[in-house]
Amino acid sequence: MTEPTRRRQILRLAIVLVLVFNLLALVVLIRATPIAFTIFMFLAQPLMVVALILLVVAVMAELRTRQLL
Amino acid sequence: MTPASGDAATLLSAPLPHGWIGTTSQWIEGFGIGLVVLNVALLLFVWFRMQRNESLSRMWGWMLVAVGLVPIMVGFMTFAHGLESSATVSACGSCHVMTPFVRDLQDVKSETLAATHFKNRFILTNQCYSCHSDYGLGGTITAKLAGLGHVWRYTTGRYTVPIKIASPYPNTRCLGCHGESQRFLNSPSKKEILPDLMAGKVSCIDCHGPVHPEQKKEARL
Repeated sequence: MTEPTRRRQILRLAIVLVLVFNLLALVVLIRATPIAFTIFMFLAQPLMVVALILLVVAVMAELRTRQLL
Repeated sequence: MTPASGDAATLLSAPLPHGWIGTTSQWIEGFGIGLVVLNVALLLFVWFRMQRNESLSRMWGWMLVAVGLVPIMVGFMTFAHGLESSATVSACGSCHVMTPFVRDLQDVKSETLAATHFKNRFILTNQCYSCHSDYGLGGTITAKLAGLGHVWRYTTGRYTVPIKIASPYPNTRCLGCHGESQRFLNSPSKKEILPDLMAGKVSCIDCHGPVHPEQKKEARL
């Protein structure tokens, strides 16, 4: 697998994670039950953090490719 | 959850102030939903551009907004809304085990202490939370952690009915409102026991019960 392809896959995974995060956030915003809020706190937010980490990893890889880092 | 009895109080609601534009919580909810829609649209936009094998170098800006910036804003709005909503009576009533208590609370004919406070609006909002959490930041944190335990026990079924309060009800929660009230301080019936009430040696609810109705076995899921 080439480096750009790998980077695209990382970014796709980040997009999927943020989509799941948005779905869970929407549930809380529409009907904020304690269970929904707990799932948001302990599942959705970590997913968003993982997505952010993946984005940073992809950005760093891009900068290294361009020899800016 | 709607009030248990269809009295005039439920049919007539107090008029809203002139120029009413909703509560902060409603605005946060609206903004939050708007941001979710925006975020999903941005994510789909980026996804389809990637599917068309466009160069990544032309998409970094969009990626940073769609995966970095907007989700953080969504997270902030959702957290604020969820935290606020988790203190409401309807949030407490969303677990079936709480149904008898919330039904009694909203029953205008009930004479329990909780119902008396509710129907007379001695506590304006979040009546369950106001009486079942201590004052100050420490009280909020402890209540939220206890709530987490409640969610865990409810979803895993690790509770027994009738449910009981975890620890004896402290007078400080009553005194937070009543403690400096002149009517309370000058009440002839309280004069003698006031130091003991303040020190927690005599419980308020020993004389002012029942606080809630008895819970029946069938309240369990």
